[in-house]
Amino acid sequence: MIIRIDEYSDVPIYMQIRNQIVMGISSGELKPGEQLPTVRALALEIGINTMTVSKTYQLLKQEGYIMTDRKNGARVREQITQSGVISEENKLQLRRIVSEARLSGVGKDVLKKLIDEFY
Amino acid sequence: MTWLIKVIMFVCIVPSVILMYMLGFSKNPGKKKMIFGVRDNPKFHEGKGQEKFDAIVSSARKGGLIITAIVVILSIIMLFLPVNGGTLIAWILLVFALFGVAAPYGKGNTELKNLKKELGITKSGVTYTDLTSTNTVHALKLAWIILPNVLALLGTIAAVLIDFGVFGVTPAVEKYALTIMSLSFLFVAAIIIPIAVMMDNTRNMVISRDSSINANYSRAKKKTWADMFISFSWANALYLIANSVLMFFTDSESAVLISTLGYTAVIMAVVVIGVINQRQVERRYERDTELELQDDDDNWILGMFYYNKNDTRLNVEKRLGYGSTINMAHPAGKVISIIIVLLLIGSIAYIIYLAVTGQLDSAGMTNIP
Repeated sequence: MIIRIDEYSDVPIYMQIRNQIVMGISSGELKPGEQLPTVRALALEIGINTMTVSKTYQLLKQEGYIMTDRKNGARVREQITQSGVISEENKLQLRRIVSEARLSGVGKDVLKKLIDEFY
Repeated sequence: MTWLIKVIMFVCIVPSVILMYMLGFSKNPGKKKMIFGVRDNPKFHEGKGQEKFDAIVSSARKGGLIITAIVVILSIIMLFLPVNGGTLIAWILLVFALFGVAAPYGKGNTELKNLKKELGITKSGVTYTDLTSTNTVHALKLAWIILPNVLALLGTIAAVLIDFGVFGVTPAVEKYALTIMSLSFLFVAAIIIPIAVMMDNTRNMVISRDSSINANYSRAKKKTWADMFISFSWANALYLIANSVLMFFTDSESAVLISTLGYTAVIMAVVVIGVINQRQVERRYERDTELELQDDDDNWILGMFYYNKNDTRLNVEKRLGYGSTINMAHPAGKVISIIIVLLLIGSIAYIIYLAVTGQLDSAGMTNIP
């Protein structure tokens, strides 16, 4: 799986990595139980501080996407708990995206098509 | 001994300067990913951009060719001059003049960066990392590089024991000459291993969305480096042993010259084969390159020295030539850079001091009795 890091983005690097790993798990690029690189290896590969990668992994663990232990490192969870609800933060993000699309003259059907594509 | 010095200096300087010119100043720069350490951009090849690009490349190539020709001509002239303190200093300065070829390269780099600004080419600042191949792609088999160096170590131990009379035999050459020669080549061996390991651990390049292509590309590049360092180690160890045997049985300058020339030829051949292999790998994977690589041109001072405070890596892939270089903004990189500069200044100052005080003459390194 390829991770894209944009140095000039407003989104912090730890969040960029987190978002892409979540997208990777959702799309199936990262399979259940798949081993993730160690904190040190990933930090060296991207050329960032180990603390940044550590923060990403802690966040992913808290959110229930991955599990970590001293022996096996980080792995994608075999079974991710499905709450069946969209978080308030994501609702806000979605609202912003829909608003911007509406202001840009993008039709509802185009947005729905995109959702179908990404889902 | 004096003619030996001249031949060795000539054989070291001339092929090196030609190789530097060939690596830094490509015949078809428009077809390369990098031109003078600046990433190629489609805007360089449109209308006025193309005109300016051609002018910059042509001027830098011309400068590089002139400096290369001067170094080659001076080396040929020096071959016919007697060796004295002055010419010895001139030889040493000629070694440093080699790096003069980098001056037009640096000029080309600065001008292309200015052209980028002029054409409105902005930094993308995007880095790609392949999670699948992180820290898993290696090509160096440690045993293959350790084995020749163990042989070199054994050869050195034998030389020291012989020189200190443990075996009760006396070599043909003067006392401690065997030890000095062996230790200096063992020192080279000790440097090769960490560099080879560092090269094998360099970041994997991401050129495609297909992880297997990325892994194969990185593995192929690392394999050519590993092969090069293993060959260096074997050449180094075999030369050390062969030279020790020669120096034990004979004090002949010709024998030493022939073995030294053989060693230099092998090293040059290894470098040339390494460069050809690297080029083949690049050519093979050119059609698979689909991702725009990170634009970090501004972190490359003159296209040669890497300085990036935001990068935690110590070693990165070189832009001039093949192999890796250090990140001068890294704490360890700063220390290494200072040591290199001090060593360079120190060695030039020491040779000048020896020549001025006449100690080179008394050491038998000049024609002056």
